[in-house]
Amino acid sequence: MFMNANLFEPGKSKSERSFIQSAVKQNTRFDGRKSNEFRDVKLTFGSDWGTVAVSMGDTKVLAQVSCDIGTPSSARANEGTLYLNVDIKGVAFLDEIQSTHDQRFLTLNSLLERTFRSSRCLDLESLCIAVEQHVWCVRVDINVLNHDGNLYDASTIAALAALMHFRRPEVSYAEEKIHTFSERERELMPLLFLHYPVSVTYCLYKSSSNPLVDPTLLEENAADSIIVLSFNSYQELCTLNAGGTAPTNVRTIMQCARSAANRSKALVQFIRKALELDAERRLQPNRVVGLVDLLSDTAPLLSFKHLMAENVRQEVVQKKISDKPIPSTETVGDEQLPADTKIDEAPMDETTWLSVEQNTWIEQQVKNVQQSLKESTQVAGKTSKSKPNRSKNKASKKPAIRKQDQSDSEEEVTQIL
Amino acid sequence: MSENTSVIMPGERVRVVEDAAKNKRVILGPGLRRLDDKVVASKAGPLRHKDPNTFWVDNYQRRYVPARGDLIIGIVKARVGDLYRVDIGSADTAAISYLAFEAATKKNRPDLNPGDLLYARVLNANADIEPELVCVNSNGKRGKLGVLQDGFFFKCSLNLARLLLRESCPALAALTDELPFEIAVGVNGRIWVKAHSMRETVGLANAIMSLEQAGYAEIDKICGDLNSVMQT
Repeated sequence: MFMNANLFEPGKSKSERSFIQSAVKQNTRFDGRKSNEFRDVKLTFGSDWGTVAVSMGDTKVLAQVSCDIGTPSSARANEGTLYLNVDIKGVAFLDEIQSTHDQRFLTLNSLLERTFRSSRCLDLESLCIAVEQHVWCVRVDINVLNHDGNLYDASTIAALAALMHFRRPEVSYAEEKIHTFSERERELMPLLFLHYPVSVTYCLYKSSSNPLVDPTLLEENAADSIIVLSFNSYQELCTLNAGGTAPTNVRTIMQCARSAANRSKALVQFIRKALELDAERRLQPNRVVGLVDLLSDTAPLLSFKHLMAENVRQEVVQKKISDKPIPSTETVGDEQLPADTKIDEAPMDETTWLSVEQNTWIEQQVKNVQQSLKESTQVAGKTSKSKPNRSKNKASKKPAIRKQDQSDSEEEVTQIL
Repeated sequence: MSENTSVIMPGERVRVVEDAAKNKRVILGPGLRRLDDKVVASKAGPLRHKDPNTFWVDNYQRRYVPARGDLIIGIVKARVGDLYRVDIGSADTAAISYLAFEAATKKNRPDLNPGDLLYARVLNANADIEPELVCVNSNGKRGKLGVLQDGFFFKCSLNLARLLLRESCPALAALTDELPFEIAVGVNGRIWVKAHSMRETVGLANAIMSLEQAGYAEIDKICGDLNSVMQT
């Protein structure tokens, strides 16, 4: 391992690893965070549509969405295409040997592909201009500007925010001719989404059963295994990436999944809010944000902690006004409910994929869930929901998701329109 | 160290050093280089001078260029025959013979594994051959050199490492007032610290890392803050 390791990166030497391991055991983190505390996420929108810079601590990622008109594949003649491209060559200290570089690149790329493409988060059919002839090809270019751990989350947030921010020109197709309307003729159109996925990363260590959330590069390199979960805003699992050597059990993964689902929901809310604020700013004249502004701190930053703190305050105010008790999981919105009921109809069979001891544990959990179901239907819906998604194999998963998508898409379309 | 802060540019002839070299031998540190009888700067930055006869240019850099006699911290990368390959942050990996440790013989080899930290001295540094390290002085005694156990290790810029090693630097003195600790600073921009507890080590490492951006005036403040951080 050490022959291949890039020792310029933190976390590769033995003393760093053992230090982090024992720090995790004592529940301390190097930057003073708690094990379940995230770094602040900051978004900066560029003057062009679809340009977003995301920074989480020292990790910085720039995403740019572009589109052009191309021909569809013969298998999906009525769908546009989404292409995701990640570039991490910009980080100088990662000038390691080719194989590890490729590995890092491939994991990141495949995570993005699965999160955005395989989960079919974009309504690709809306990108079709003429069947079998012309479709929109949407391309997301993600540039890693600095790597201080958790590139997964940073790049999924960047990609999602950029896609949501992006506007494409309207076109008309008549007599085999495409006419593209300029921005003055017709307003630009946003992309249509079926759901909004974001990932959340956890690090697991052999020394502790407590996973660390949002790892820095030091923690990430010293980790025994890294779990990446992508959830959409309806708290449905889109991707689960678990590898490494740390002994993981259902409990930790479930624990991660639950908090990841909440986190994803909050992140999507944050991105929506940030987009609204950006739209307001865009109405003001003479506001130019160039690339240099974007990368320096001169551009208006939209920070997660700031925006969501306001959110909490508003909720508290609402609570006082309405004098109604808000359920413990206030992140679960109304749009959540149909998804929950759907999953509850088809409970999964856990016996097929779990060992005996785990089954007894699950039974206990199910009892707990049923108990909490009585207390609050929303909490139960969330916990039982992430299980089936994970356990289902691909064959059974696909139709379920598609069904979901359709119902979601209608909702979303009406919202956007 | 004299407070002479004349900034020099690469390619500039440095008369101050040449004048000093007329009377006595001078040592040219990083950023200065001798071309025949001239002394020319190869980096941009303030020219520093340490009495009696050492000169160097204090530019911001993270990549280490080995120089004979430097004390550095390396990570053992692999074992090749009767050599260990050690990463010292330079372009090439360094080599250390297993005989270059105290009381090492052909039978009695030091027990080093990949990932271990070594505090060593550069024995040979040449542009054309790989640098060679030793963990003993000329008397065969290890002194402070050798394997660093436990503790925490991190990387910083070469400037920060040089700054900490400067005799006039208030940082280490201020930190020792706060708490007892062990520290090894390699001029290759690597620092190893060890305090009594995990919390102290973390605080210490963070304090040292925050010196990276600090000016001389802020050092005392940062080191003083450490105490308040620890108590909370």
